[in-house]
Amino acid sequence: MMRRVGIVGAGITECRGRWVEKTYWDLFQTAVRETLSAAQMTIDDVDSVVYGIYNDIFEHQAIPESSLTGLIGMTNKPGVRITSGGATGFYAMRGAIMEVASGMSDVVLCVGGEKATDCFDPLSKSPTPMVINTIAYSWDPFFENPLGATANDSYMQMCLGYNDSYPGDIGDPLVRAKIVEKLCRQGNRNPYAQRRDEHVTVEHVMNSRWIIPPFLRLLEACMYTEGAGATIFASEDKARELSERSGQPIIWVRGVGAANEAYAVGRGGYYKPLDRIVSDRLAAERAYEMAGVKPSDIKIVELHDAFVAQLMITMGEMGFVPVGKTRALIDEGIMADIDDLGDKKAPVGKQVLVNPSGGLIFGGHFVGGSNMFSMWSARREMINRQVPLALVHGTGAINACFGGAIVLELDEGGM
Amino acid sequence: MAKQRRVMAKREMVIPPDYNLPREVTTIAGKDGTPYLQFNTGMLTLYKQTYGEISRFFMGLKEGKLIGARCKNCRQVMVPAATWHCPDCDFAPMEEVTLPHHGVLAATAPITFFPSATFIGKAPFCRGYVDVATKAPVASFLPCRLRTTTGIPRPGIFVKGIEVKLVFADERQGTILDVFAVPMSEVPAKLRKKEPLLASQLNLENPPVPKIKEGSKWKTPFAAAMKDMKTMASKVTKGSRAAKDLADRSHTIGVKTGGGKFGMVVANGKLRIVDTLPKKVSFTMAAEDPVVFTKWVKGGSLSDAVMEGLLWLPNLESFPALYALDRLPRSIRRDEEEGRRP
Repeated sequence: MMRRVGIVGAGITECRGRWVEKTYWDLFQTAVRETLSAAQMTIDDVDSVVYGIYNDIFEHQAIPESSLTGLIGMTNKPGVRITSGGATGFYAMRGAIMEVASGMSDVVLCVGGEKATDCFDPLSKSPTPMVINTIAYSWDPFFENPLGATANDSYMQMCLGYNDSYPGDIGDPLVRAKIVEKLCRQGNRNPYAQRRDEHVTVEHVMNSRWIIPPFLRLLEACMYTEGAGATIFASEDKARELSERSGQPIIWVRGVGAANEAYAVGRGGYYKPLDRIVSDRLAAERAYEMAGVKPSDIKIVELHDAFVAQLMITMGEMGFVPVGKTRALIDEGIMADIDDLGDKKAPVGKQVLVNPSGGLIFGGHFVGGSNMFSMWSARREMINRQVPLALVHGTGAINACFGGAIVLELDEGGM
Repeated sequence: MAKQRRVMAKREMVIPPDYNLPREVTTIAGKDGTPYLQFNTGMLTLYKQTYGEISRFFMGLKEGKLIGARCKNCRQVMVPAATWHCPDCDFAPMEEVTLPHHGVLAATAPITFFPSATFIGKAPFCRGYVDVATKAPVASFLPCRLRTTTGIPRPGIFVKGIEVKLVFADERQGTILDVFAVPMSEVPAKLRKKEPLLASQLNLENPPVPKIKEGSKWKTPFAAAMKDMKTMASKVTKGSRAAKDLADRSHTIGVKTGGGKFGMVVANGKLRIVDTLPKKVSFTMAAEDPVVFTKWVKGGSLSDAVMEGLLWLPNLESFPALYALDRLPRSIRRDEEEGRRP
């Protein structure tokens, strides 16, 4: 029988396009320092650590976690690094949760982050093509990488595949632009968000440069971010003790679901279909089943929005809107508007608050810790709005074939 | 020996010679106003990476053959042959099958305009998945480049369900780029059954300019576009940002639109818009609706029009000129903004 697991603290660094002021050492230490301090804990309270770091090339060190051990005060304690593409943060948290649930440790720190834009391309004299290059090593060296595939293509070929099977849904640029506008206003409220000072309107989105037509304009894509985020998981007894000390409510992990689809794309069998994100659907269903909840019980979702069209598909796969009719997010007002809710109100009726952090598009996307960024926001919003249930989602790897979901519950008594 | 050395020098290298940085440490300003240091470095690994068990697939390509792995039990076909043991049948052995050189595009394919560093100068290109083993109950798709004989790839060509012909590079090294797919409708009837069909047998490099029918409804937008472009061209003055964008560039571009023809001459850091189609052109572009040029002048971009399929370009070589032209409206605006400052 697994033990109950609670979250007693979460924190993130400021999200920036580039931190010339900090190496990844300091980014990780900052996230740990601020998370512990906000939870009124010290590193001595922590039994072990799980690191989320996506890509050695970004950090420019193999085993980058080895150099972090001492710097974050975890000398002579167990530590393991988890790396699973865009879903690295989710899988790192899943590892930390399992470690507590199994009884192996009582208090586990999960910290993830990325240094991404130190990369530099000498031909274009700018970082971006080299960042894209680094991510493109996520494709295999035999078949896909030599074809020139990029992360944008990876998600867009799936969105195009979805559109082949479900036309008239993600294809409406106005619906996508309205979602972006909402995400922007939500990001404006996040003091750590990378684009917190931007004011992006529907018109801006629809007039921004194309990256890949017809579903991806510049303002519909996530960012490259440098930063780090941490979450502290604890056993029930420890969680209650730490929560009493800090005066902050416990957020319980009620369900965790994960699924990885095959890498190879094909027809039938075990192959990855291009018109669906099966990994998202399976991960969410498994998390709901473990938690004993259904999507309509959940009022806050922090999902991994690499691209707006993918956000729509993911919301469909996770059961908040019908697959093929995900534009209901806007058409039927399913996606709550932050201007109506302010800082304290919970969404009502059919409404869901999606990515109050601004998501990966406006908030930030420091890959190895992006899902911890989502976790930080979900926890903050649950407490501020007194929302009993929330969902954190992660996706990653080629064609979004890795998926993960965590159902969270606010401790009875709330504050 | 000397001859051999010359051959070696011509070879494409894994890392291009200018793909490098000088060894130095430079200062960079932080957001906090303090100076920080950054050092130029790299994370370099070279490989002689084995194709191992998939060598057979690439040997097949070199011979002009497409092979897959078929499970004797469930009959599924894996193409490319990524394994020889069926993951669905308790790892039952799979056998080699020779596959046809045609198939169906499995999904509408994205076009890459902004490539990774490795592919700079090689975009735009299109890649997608071809269902080759259509008779098998279960099959993986062949990932491959998609090419057209009708110019730069644009939306509407590589859509789900079209029949494609697999074409082989004339000189094959044993890489996935040895084979690519072309819409079957673009392959002359007499070549459709040829296996292997070679790239040199198709006209991929110099596609005919599409026929644009001139119509009276385009006359007014054409006149407006000409006026806007000429005004813009007059602002590309010596020493301006825009002039720098065009420095070292020399293009004579013919343009055909529904409202009329014209020419763009880029030379000596200047842009000239001419009222007639130049006799000798570097390349020709074509757009039915002349408004794409007005949109460009007003701060849009020509490459956006290409990406939307509204502006036709013949080939990869024509694309860099477009990026330079795209910068002009922004550069002129910046110069004007600075000029207004006291």
